[in-house]
Amino acid sequence: MIDMNSLAGAVALLTSSFEAWLWLIPGLMIGLFFGAMPGISITMAMAIFLPMTLYMEFLPAIIFLTAIYTAAGFGGSVPAVLMNIPGTTSAVATTFDGYPMARSGRHNEALGVALAASVFGTLVSYALLMFLIAPVSRVVLRLGPLELFAVAVWGMLLIGSLASKSMLRGLLAGVFGVLLGTVGFSSAGFIRGTMDIPWLFDGVPVIPAMMGLLAASQLLGLINTKYLISDEASRSISFRKIISGMRMSFKQPFIIGRGAMIGVLVGSIPGVGSSISNLLSYAETKRNAPDSDTFGTGNPKGVIAAESANSSSEGGAMATMLALGIPGGGATAILLAAFAMNNIVGGPSFIANQMDIVYAIIFANFAQAVLLLIVGLGFVYIAGYVVRVPLRFLIPSVLVVAAFGSYAIEGSAAGPITLVVFSVLGWAMVRYQYPVAATVVGLLLGRMLENELARTFQIGRQSIEGIFNYALTRPGALTIFALMLVSIGASAYAKHRRRKKGKTILAEEE
Amino acid sequence: MASKPGRIVVMWGHLLLLAVIAAVVIYYWMDTRAASMRTVNLLLVQPASIFALFLVLALVPQCFRRVGPDEEEGEKETIGDLARVFTLMAAFIAFALSMQYVGFDVATFSFMVVGLRLCGERNWFLNLGFSAAFTALLIWGYGAIIPFPFPLTVL
Repeated sequence: MIDMNSLAGAVALLTSSFEAWLWLIPGLMIGLFFGAMPGISITMAMAIFLPMTLYMEFLPAIIFLTAIYTAAGFGGSVPAVLMNIPGTTSAVATTFDGYPMARSGRHNEALGVALAASVFGTLVSYALLMFLIAPVSRVVLRLGPLELFAVAVWGMLLIGSLASKSMLRGLLAGVFGVLLGTVGFSSAGFIRGTMDIPWLFDGVPVIPAMMGLLAASQLLGLINTKYLISDEASRSISFRKIISGMRMSFKQPFIIGRGAMIGVLVGSIPGVGSSISNLLSYAETKRNAPDSDTFGTGNPKGVIAAESANSSSEGGAMATMLALGIPGGGATAILLAAFAMNNIVGGPSFIANQMDIVYAIIFANFAQAVLLLIVGLGFVYIAGYVVRVPLRFLIPSVLVVAAFGSYAIEGSAAGPITLVVFSVLGWAMVRYQYPVAATVVGLLLGRMLENELARTFQIGRQSIEGIFNYALTRPGALTIFALMLVSIGASAYAKHRRRKKGKTILAEEE
Repeated sequence: MASKPGRIVVMWGHLLLLAVIAAVVIYYWMDTRAASMRTVNLLLVQPASIFALFLVLALVPQCFRRVGPDEEEGEKETIGDLARVFTLMAAFIAFALSMQYVGFDVATFSFMVVGLRLCGERNWFLNLGFSAAFTALLIWGYGAIIPFPFPLTVL
């Protein structure tokens, strides 16, 4: 599985150029800073610095850009934990437990957990990539609409696990999100629900809507609170606690491993990537955890699951990009552009002929992940001071930053307008205990669900019977559905056993 | 048959939220049907809309709560607290809608001043100073990063 000659070539390549390594730390710092700024996506950060790489050799250029990619992926989790703002779609699940941890005074631990899970997720995913790059790329080529639909349905199952208090409210929040996610031009060419507003033709702007639902809605509700953390003693910034948070991650190798596996597999699917992998990993971890009731209230396992999956998606996306030459998202498209600037074209021939460069990129990412642990530690220490800022300053400032960020994404007033509409909606939903996160998941997956269902319907000769016949010819999709059923069945059985055990203990006590 | 003690309290806000959701769902469903009646167009939207409306109906009874004679009614939140939330919300909406017309700098500065005051900052010097500095820093920072210009009036 590993070509030893290419491996030796990669080591020689990396040790031949000291200049390449000089770009590592600046790349990480840029990535962290930009990733932590709401509205500045990984793609935007990489696009801004792409022209700089014109004057670099190939290896330093790729190391610099992948360092931004790696660090920005983690950077997004900092505002997710501290302010409930998922700067990117890949940090949505991090907010579910990261923010409650911060609100209860465990912000240091939450940031430590997120950092360590991110770093380990990246390491595991690149280790997997070394062995799996060829088979993963073969699998990706065989995926059809039914498999993608199955992945989306799997993501939707998360809604069930988010509806903590009332299942009905959770379901309504989720279905409402799915419907809003399909507004605009459908893949079949129909325009729905746009109210003749031109910018809605492309659909509801997802990131501004997400920022409104998750962050701005919370901030509006905090107006009568003085600090993010009410207990003054808990507002301290402590290296010791950040390290102890990192240790919590070390203690959950299975969750990290599962997150990394989901991240690599889902991340390798073009167009799906980290925005779904973090949700799937969170849902699976919650479903299988003995303490699943505490998820959503500040359970570090939730942060570990989300962060290990979103950081490892980078490895999966790189596999598709390197092996097939298909960019899974904006960030990998920019990497491909950087390749093209050096007359290198990703794809099967690249893997066959230039495996040494592939290994060099993988090794460079190992180094980036390890260095991210150190640079990120300093970064989260400084970022942690947010909890000390009185909310009377924080609330208007963050609302304004969110509005600027949403403008930056959309390039028009569409971003800020979407932000305020969803802030008001989110505030009302939070007030009456609807899980806004379920609406966010629905918004993210609605379009994908409809597109893949429509494609499957068309392949199945436009009949429901045809869909079933088509499904029988797709073992991949059937496997995903079977895995889903097994996973739901296993968690139901585990829940039943826990309940039974609880009853036995109660009976013995009596 | 004896009736249960206490009285029924209507949660008007919850009822309004459900009404808004139902209105949006019905509008979207009807608009989708108006766009085309082909199955491929209605495949997801129609069943999802029906399901959403069914859920709304199932949730309506939860907007009515029986409060016992000894039980304290409602939340501890005062009308003043709620008024502050609504005022901040209104200021935020005004800010988002006016950004492009009055300039990002003027809109940001004005919202910051109003926002800080609403959130409890009583010192006007600090309020105005922080708002001005924050606005300038944000315009400069985002202006340096974002590839398209912000409409500005003063800066």
